Amino acid sequence: MADLVLENLTIKYGGVTAVENLNIHVASGEFLTLLGPSGCGKSTSLFAVAGLNHATSGIIRVGDKVLFDGDPRNTVPPERRNIGLVFQSYALWPHKSVADNLAFPLILRKMGKSERDARIKEALGLVEMLPYADRFPFELSGGQQQRVALARALVYRPPLLLLDEPLSNLDAKLRERARVWLRELQERLNVTTIYVTHDQAEALAVSDRIAVMSMGRMRQLGSPRDIYERPADSFVADFIGSSNFLDAKLVQNGADAARVRLVDGTEITTAPGRAAKDGSLVVAVRPERIEVVSEMGPNCLRVTVDQKVYLGSVWQYVVRSGAMEFRIQTTWEIDDPSVIVRIPPEHCAVFAEKFAGN
Amino acid sequence: MTDISDTGASRQPIDRSRLIFWGVAALTTVLVAGPIVPIVIQAFLDKPLYDTSADFTLGNFTRLASEPGMGRVFFNTLYFGLLTMVLAQVFGAVMAVLVGRTNLPGRSWMGEIFIWPLFVSNLVIAFGWFTMYGPSGFMTLAAKTYLGGAPWNLYTVTGMGIVAGLSQAPLTYLMCLAAVTKADPQLEDAARSAGAGPFRALWSVTIPMIRPAVIYSAVLNFVVGIEMLAIPLLFGGPSGIQTVTTFLYDKGINAAVRPEYGIVGAAAILLLILVALLVWLQGYLMQASGRFVTVRGKASRPSILDLGKWRWPAFAFVFAFVFFTILSVFGGIFMRSAVTFLTPLIPFWKVLTTANFDLVFASSTYTRSIVNSVVVATVGAAIGTFFICVIALVARRSEFRFRRPLEYVALFPRSLPGIIAGLGFFYAVIWLPGADMIRGTIFVLIIAFMVRYIPVGFGAIAPALAQIGEELDRGSRISGADWWTTVTRIIMPILKPALFSCYALLFIHFFKEYVTAAFLYQPGSEIIGTTMLQLVAQGDNGPVSALATIQVIITALFVIIARRLLGAKIYG
Repeated sequence: MADLVLENLTIKYGGVTAVENLNIHVASGEFLTLLGPSGCGKSTSLFAVAGLNHATSGIIRVGDKVLFDGDPRNTVPPERRNIGLVFQSYALWPHKSVADNLAFPLILRKMGKSERDARIKEALGLVEMLPYADRFPFELSGGQQQRVALARALVYRPPLLLLDEPLSNLDAKLRERARVWLRELQERLNVTTIYVTHDQAEALAVSDRIAVMSMGRMRQLGSPRDIYERPADSFVADFIGSSNFLDAKLVQNGADAARVRLVDGTEITTAPGRAAKDGSLVVAVRPERIEVVSEMGPNCLRVTVDQKVYLGSVWQYVVRSGAMEFRIQTTWEIDDPSVIVRIPPEHCAVFAEKFAGN
Repeated sequence: MTDISDTGASRQPIDRSRLIFWGVAALTTVLVAGPIVPIVIQAFLDKPLYDTSADFTLGNFTRLASEPGMGRVFFNTLYFGLLTMVLAQVFGAVMAVLVGRTNLPGRSWMGEIFIWPLFVSNLVIAFGWFTMYGPSGFMTLAAKTYLGGAPWNLYTVTGMGIVAGLSQAPLTYLMCLAAVTKADPQLEDAARSAGAGPFRALWSVTIPMIRPAVIYSAVLNFVVGIEMLAIPLLFGGPSGIQTVTTFLYDKGINAAVRPEYGIVGAAAILLLILVALLVWLQGYLMQASGRFVTVRGKASRPSILDLGKWRWPAFAFVFAFVFFTILSVFGGIFMRSAVTFLTPLIPFWKVLTTANFDLVFASSTYTRSIVNSVVVATVGAAIGTFFICVIALVARRSEFRFRRPLEYVALFPRSLPGIIAGLGFFYAVIWLPGADMIRGTIFVLIIAFMVRYIPVGFGAIAPALAQIGEELDRGSRISGADWWTTVTRIIMPILKPALFSCYALLFIHFFKEYVTAAFLYQPGSEIIGTTMLQLVAQGDNGPVSALATIQVIITALFVIIARRLLGAKIYG
């Protein structure tokens, strides 16, 4: 078992900085997810850990083994890192059977035939693919290939397992089952795991901690609950789940709460936060946290219902108060053209700037 | 299950991958520079290269310029090359569209015949044309007897250009065929639904998209014309017409008494620069070809145009082309090999003989040249395939710092005319200490052929390599394999079909090559091509046709076997 340390990891291609000053300490046995939109540098970081990308500066360490010490000439080549890696496309070698795919890394480690067979059997057993040992990759379904790819990455018992969007080629139903199964397996083996995905539901479901990345920088590192309930900035609030961003002006800032005035003139209490120099700020609140109430009270406002969309499990509405427009969500249908809503202070995050969008 | 003591794959004492990168790069550079450097040096020396008292001079170029008729020679070369290109482009492109996209009767078998000429050397083709359309050729005599006169005279630069152009049309055909049949039919469908008729759609959408193929093959054919030896030698020789290649050939070889090294070196450099410029131009013109790329993942059949009442006239046109430029040329060679004297005036069976073949098989020189050809092609293609494969892997699939320059060097022989490669290796072998060992052996032939055809083999391997996802290498590396283990255990096995195709292409090219060998062979290392070249000069047409027939038969057998057994892709 080993922990993974990334210190000030920076990766540049020519003049473009793909990853900037990434600092993460992944504890031994932890399941950490790098989450972000495409092009945010999450896969680049993962491949730098694998040694398949060249980092520009910083430190990469697994256990007490330094893989990269900041000098690009001293990087340990990928074959000497002893890391397991599962590719998005699985990268099963098409000319080798399932068993031979697993045997290759063991042969490279000069392992005897009997021990090799035992290891292959064990690894295929773990992913429930033992009956398919003699098949070739093209004879397997996508889900089966994904399991074999995982078995191949685990068969030499690496202290660190890297997963690059391993479930993204599976259909939706299978993906949900696979992620539960993957997490169970990881817990059983207690292997330190870095998981890359752009699917926030997947990240929330499987991770111990999530590192949200955007444009080469880490925006927030925390538990799934932290990330969802207490987004560190407006990008995270927007990218994880979905948020309304309400423009407002700061009226009074306190230690536990702030008073802000929304554009329609309503004053509400929010969680404390920072405003820009001129006192302007945005309030991020998730549609499903806004309550529909029967009477006016603190943090309440009357809104008209502009649009109504039926999404199966919920109804979603676009509502309006003066010039201010936002979304709310209910499990039942609203028939009235106008309702009173309450914005709970504890679910309001306040940011100085609105996320500009990618 | 995790265990930190379970370290990665065992360390290599020295980094062998790096050693291979540098070794391949060095070997490639030496081999490619090998024939060029001595020629360049020779061009500026007043005495032969090996003469230690030789001094630097520019005199060779002034002598070349003042040589009587030199302007004529360069003009002939350019005119011949241009005519070759124009005719080959026009006929090749038209045939490709007719065969590839219309309901022309007999399109499949005629399409197959179209590529025959690509398998044999232009020496064989030139000899076939000579046999049929020369001054006393079969067709010429037939026309004179039955039509009252043959309107063609091939012993002029224009005549030579017509022969070369028509016989190079298959190359254009092959490249354009791929473009017209692989074009996405949805693009034409889009034109159809926008209101264009079927011919309009073909003309406005698909034809413009074969432009890269036309440009590419145009420059290629121009280069082929400029560096061609056989046709100028056979048709220009008797009437004293010279091109740069025949000039180099005559001065370099036939002037045995006093080979004029300096002037040959100077002329060779001019030819080299001309061809290099053309190849550069080709690359420049192809730069923007991305907007013509239409080959996408989805496989679909191109739609077939109905020619309507033009079906049979089109058939007559295409069949006439196939009959007069391919079938009768090959037929002429076969017929000539089986008779004492080929003429339409005496019935065929009255002059039948096996004497030509008896003569070939009775002579140890002739049989040795056949054996040598087979050995050079079989062994040389194997060595070449391995070497080129490693070059391609280093150039395209390694972290070698100089991989891009390596690819440039490896592809440079595209600009190296065969006659100059031959001349250059001839100098190099004399000049380089120790190289004398392989002088006049078939090894030097194998090396020279290999260098010349690196780009051909590279072209067969590189596209297949691009099809193999890089994550397969990466998966292997992360599993603990170094670069060399990765390419030998993972990439090469997957690349096997492309390697077979590369082998087959190299075999065919090595087997038909003659120009490059013209300066390099000695008694004992002659190949079919050089023996034919010698016999043609002596006017011994019987054994020439027998050797040509044998060469065609062996090639045909090889092509059939390679396609059936190895599944090799040779020209589609």
